[in-house]
Amino acid sequence: MTDEQGTSGAVLVVGGGISGLTAALETAEVGNDVFLVEKSASFGGRVAQLNEYFPKMCPPSCGLEINFKRIRDNRKIRTYTMTTVKSVTGGPGNYEVTLETAPRYVNSNCTACGDCAVACPDEIDNDFNFGMNKSKAAYLPHEMAFPRRYVINKKGLTAAGAEAVKSACKYNAVDLDMQVQTCTINVASIVWATGWVPYDATKMENLKFGQSQSIVTNMMIERMAAPSGPTGGKILRPGDNKEIESIAFVQCAGSRDENHLEYCSHICCMATFKQMSYVREQYPDAKIYVFYIDLRTPGKYEKFREARMADKNATFIKGKVADITIEADGSVTVIAENAVTAEKMSQRVDMAVLATGMQPSLSLQGAPVTLQMDSNGFVISDADKAMISAGCAKKAADVVTCTQSSTAAALKAIQVSRR
Amino acid sequence: MNVQPDLDFIRTLKEAGGDTLKKCYQCATCSVMCPLSKDGKPFPRKEMIWAGWGMKDKLVTDPDVFLCHHCGDCTANCPRGAKPGDVLSAIRSYAYTFYGWPQPLAKLASSAKGLPMMIGIPVVVIFFMWLISGGMHIPNKEFFAEHGYQQFFGHWDFKWYAKNIFFIVAFMVPSLGLGLFSGIMGISKMWKAMSEQADMNPQYRPSVGQFVTDFIWPSLVEIIKHSRFNECGTHLNRVRGHLPLMLAFIGLFIVTCWSLLKNDVLGLIWPSLHGPLPLTDPFKLLANVSAIALIFGIAVLWSNRKKMETEMSAQATFYDWFLIWEITAVGVTGIAAELLRWAGMPVLGYIVYFLHLVSVMMLFLYLPYTKLAHLLYRTTAYTFEKYRESIFAQNK
Repeated sequence: MTDEQGTSGAVLVVGGGISGLTAALETAEVGNDVFLVEKSASFGGRVAQLNEYFPKMCPPSCGLEINFKRIRDNRKIRTYTMTTVKSVTGGPGNYEVTLETAPRYVNSNCTACGDCAVACPDEIDNDFNFGMNKSKAAYLPHEMAFPRRYVINKKGLTAAGAEAVKSACKYNAVDLDMQVQTCTINVASIVWATGWVPYDATKMENLKFGQSQSIVTNMMIERMAAPSGPTGGKILRPGDNKEIESIAFVQCAGSRDENHLEYCSHICCMATFKQMSYVREQYPDAKIYVFYIDLRTPGKYEKFREARMADKNATFIKGKVADITIEADGSVTVIAENAVTAEKMSQRVDMAVLATGMQPSLSLQGAPVTLQMDSNGFVISDADKAMISAGCAKKAADVVTCTQSSTAAALKAIQVSRR
Repeated sequence: MNVQPDLDFIRTLKEAGGDTLKKCYQCATCSVMCPLSKDGKPFPRKEMIWAGWGMKDKLVTDPDVFLCHHCGDCTANCPRGAKPGDVLSAIRSYAYTFYGWPQPLAKLASSAKGLPMMIGIPVVVIFFMWLISGGMHIPNKEFFAEHGYQQFFGHWDFKWYAKNIFFIVAFMVPSLGLGLFSGIMGISKMWKAMSEQADMNPQYRPSVGQFVTDFIWPSLVEIIKHSRFNECGTHLNRVRGHLPLMLAFIGLFIVTCWSLLKNDVLGLIWPSLHGPLPLTDPFKLLANVSAIALIFGIAVLWSNRKKMETEMSAQATFYDWFLIWEITAVGVTGIAAELLRWAGMPVLGYIVYFLHLVSVMMLFLYLPYTKLAHLLYRTTAYTFEKYRESIFAQNK
């Protein structure tokens, strides 16, 4: 293959979620070198946090494990965790990218035996579970973390803790003197698969998130329903672990709202339908209330909606929840106007789930290089500049759409590298 | 339901400040956010869809449209920038014209195009009065210092009734009369239409006394105390302007009544009562305090409106600004005329006094069609709301 621009034709994929994994694999399996960079300590992204995901209601292990295996087996892909892109210079076909790797404090000797976590006396908030429980300061990012290697939160470690962790490791894998490392790579094109973050629910002041433990987000429900989650898979009210007799789903919490995210996040209606099935499995008689503006079932999911709407104990109310009041007994009252009957209603429930939307990560943290973005911070692919967007960095989407757009991004990236 | 959208109506609303109404996607956030909306059938979500569909008949017979105080909480929290508060304000502006009688005058007062005519009518009437009064000369300083504007329309020796008062009464009383009469025509029409829409029993009615004590009086108390206005969140600051302004109008109303009584009734018995009041007179004091309150109130409302237009990008409408200008004109010319009298500047004083008469006549004449009509229509809506919930409205 001729390489007119004098590069190796390598592709940098930024972000190691389902989109980044897909883009990296598709590119590498065609024969290009790939650098796959992930900010957190493990690949898998948001999908790893889900209990089940569309279209087949698989647990995340289902799709991620096969991808991890393909990556492990593919010598064309070099993976970097805890790594971010610091700067990009050069031009399409010949970018010079500086990567910065944060210290993990655990080196490659780690066998994930877990002795350090057992010995560690210090606990930190478990961000993977949205702070609903604690983890040790020496921890495995999550159950099926890849790379399967522990990580140490040095700030959360006391002096005694540091000593305990170090001496617990039989393989000399703990290295608390590890420093930030930078390296430079040359690539022809860059795929931005930087994904999304759940929209900060505290920004909707009227929905009182954070003021009552009965108000949770849809992503928190995913963690609760997951067997590896903070409650071992049982949906319970945080704080008092009450079993749920009634639950309200608050759709469009901060979505389709020009004061928050002005677009429809595409997935929240389906996520709620999915979560209704989690609730129904665990609580056959629980009352479910869904407050919505419009119910959107993109793709082929209309039947899925019909099945949920046939539930005798589920009530669908056309009207956005605009106020939530916190009751003394720990329950909450959601308030909305039913636009069909034109009556204002207040519904007291054990738990309210805010269906928050997807905010593109780069709109919050900023891109390390000038990218073409729309007004919401989604990246617009620029093939001439060899900057390609994929997955939820491109638009709010479900897993199927993300893998499709990542495959498309891989093709574009390859085309640029062979121009 | 077969909806026949009234496209002209929608267009009128868009021009009157409701240009955003089509952005509404019926999420109903506004109905929950509204601090004045009642739990049963809240507003303004339903009004938004009626407006979007051009359902004029529903809207002009809906008391909620008039119960809205334009707090702005719905607009601030609207996810679409549909500005329900501004739309409801536009609907009210439409309704005042819709119920206005006589229609040509109501239409004239509904847009900036009519402004030259609106100013022209009182200018011509008062100038004509000035011409025929024979008083048409500018006094010298000594005369001005002694009589002020008391002989603006001249003087005659008929001691029972001053010429000046005669001429002022000759155009002001008919103006106010016409304004009030038209206003009452309008609110009766609205009451009837609302009763029909609410499917009330017309057979069973309270006595007049009962109607006043049970429905009108409690409404007035609520209005004067600003009980509902005070519930507002976003535009709560408007109370700071509206309350002094309302009290100023009440104060000036009292002074005018006293002045009428003093000059036209008591003056017949004791002619010495004619003449300008000394500054220490309690009524003069009330008049001056009211004038200052009026200027302060309107200044607050003026700046609030400006702020609303810049910060919340509200449309600048003739409906809102006419009343602000009008009240400002009354206050400024009134105070300026008084100051010019003290300063002994007869020429300028007479011109400003003339403008003061013009602005007051405009206030009376256009009362039932401009935003000022809210004092009739909103009071009626308050009363209707109470009436609707009472035993008299039960249709059984």
